[in-house]
Amino acid sequence: MLELFAIPLVKIVVLIGALMTVTAYLVLLERKMAAWVQDRRGPDRVGVPLTKIRLFGLGQPLADGLKFLFKEEFTPRHVEPLLYTLAPVVTLASALAIYAVIPMGDTLPLKIGASGANLSMVVAPGCDVGLLYIFALSSIAVYGVILGGWASNDKYSFLGGLRTSAQMVAYELPLGLGILGVVLVSGSLDLGKIIHQQADSGLWFAFTQPLGLVVFVVAAFAEAARLPFDLPECEQELVGGYHTEYSGMRLITFLIAEFMHMVTVSFLIVILFFGGWHFWGLTGSGPVESWGQGILRIGVLMAKVFGVILFFMMVRWSWPRFRFDQLMSLAWKVMLPQGLLNLALMAVLCEPFIAERIGSRHWGVFLLISWAVALLAWLVTALVQPSGPENSPQRVEPSI
Amino acid sequence: MESTTVPILLFVVCALCLAVGTVMAGRFFGPRRSTPVKGMPYESGMDPVHDTRRRFDVRFHLVAIAFLVFDVEVLFLYPWAVASKQAAQGDPARGIDLAVQSQLVSSREMVFFGAAAFFVLLLVGYVYDWRKGVFRWR
Repeated sequence: MLELFAIPLVKIVVLIGALMTVTAYLVLLERKMAAWVQDRRGPDRVGVPLTKIRLFGLGQPLADGLKFLFKEEFTPRHVEPLLYTLAPVVTLASALAIYAVIPMGDTLPLKIGASGANLSMVVAPGCDVGLLYIFALSSIAVYGVILGGWASNDKYSFLGGLRTSAQMVAYELPLGLGILGVVLVSGSLDLGKIIHQQADSGLWFAFTQPLGLVVFVVAAFAEAARLPFDLPECEQELVGGYHTEYSGMRLITFLIAEFMHMVTVSFLIVILFFGGWHFWGLTGSGPVESWGQGILRIGVLMAKVFGVILFFMMVRWSWPRFRFDQLMSLAWKVMLPQGLLNLALMAVLCEPFIAERIGSRHWGVFLLISWAVALLAWLVTALVQPSGPENSPQRVEPSI
Repeated sequence: MESTTVPILLFVVCALCLAVGTVMAGRFFGPRRSTPVKGMPYESGMDPVHDTRRRFDVRFHLVAIAFLVFDVEVLFLYPWAVASKQAAQGDPARGIDLAVQSQLVSSREMVFFGAAAFFVLLLVGYVYDWRKGVFRWR
């Protein structure tokens, strides 16, 4: 009973609490970063309430949350009430529930219950279908967004919802193909086992599958709807996209869920391609033996994830948005073939009877071939660019 | 089995509770002042024209179909990808090797070429779609 309900429940409460707090402060960090990039100050006023202490604006997330709470919760008359309320619930619940299988570290040597095993840092340890579960839930999150756009019964929302559906659907394929390469090499869908594989060999999948990494990262940006792929809610064209008609707590639910998607894909990038909690000569690769080691592994994982999140934020403030036709042709004509190529390459290099002949059992040969193919693939893509409309600035001759 | 199902279910329930709670919380605080203008769909300040439920571009439909085809095909590749990894030396055979041992399939090569044939079929479909202009957005 204790092991079945109490431990998971404690983990869940701690995890959700930490996630909400971290999300709130990451939003602050993103605003600070925007300010830094654009050479202005950013939010630095809100500190301790009723005093003049500013604390570098650390009170901002709390103030924002309170403001949203006391805003008018308005349901316009033209919406479909049930779906309109359901959409943010679905989006946030699925964005959160993904974390049931994402490891926050390895284990801690804390023995609870009869089994005497280490306390795992996953809510559902050893979930054999972890990656499929993540996939399923991230698809449900798309439903939330489309429902929101449809139920709002507003043209901006509708266009935003349509674009979202097309974009998510198009980039889910490269995302899956990028993952498939990792699954093929590691032979497991369990995130914990995938990390252990990389720790054992010391070769992160980012090094052995450069093509898969690029495909996955680009698709992850698109799935999280981050700039340069934030077509679903580009302010300048669609006002707010699918959440144009939302206000108050429902709006912030959407915003939190969206931000959380970015954190999720950062975790996935680190776990699948950058070795999770592993770092050479620092964390070791076997089972956890001491408290120090266990905490160090958590720290390394979090540091890596933080690095990836910073990367996401930097990209947001340094890249212009794609046009919709560019977005679609990137998905179907560039990312999909490259994902397929990566998968085929991994299948060939890992197949024993081929590996014997070309020597790809040795990691040096493996690396050489996969990097060569990756570079070649990008060269070919650059040379045979998918033809799009000419959009360089042109001089129009005035017609008389 | 139980050790993963129960935590995941618990997590889903907790996440749902939190989401419902967040959305409900807004109902108890804050003012409620409805005006006729507030109830109108937002169209940048203009009076809305037409209904929203109108025809939209058929290309979205094409993308949806292409996605359905490819996504299902990619899903078929998952079991193969999981099974095709060889067990480490000294460990008992797993996946395809286990199937070969228990004579479910004749050899590892056959599985490989089977997967390759599937892959080629997928490629044929992809090239067909491309030539038909499914991926063209103008």
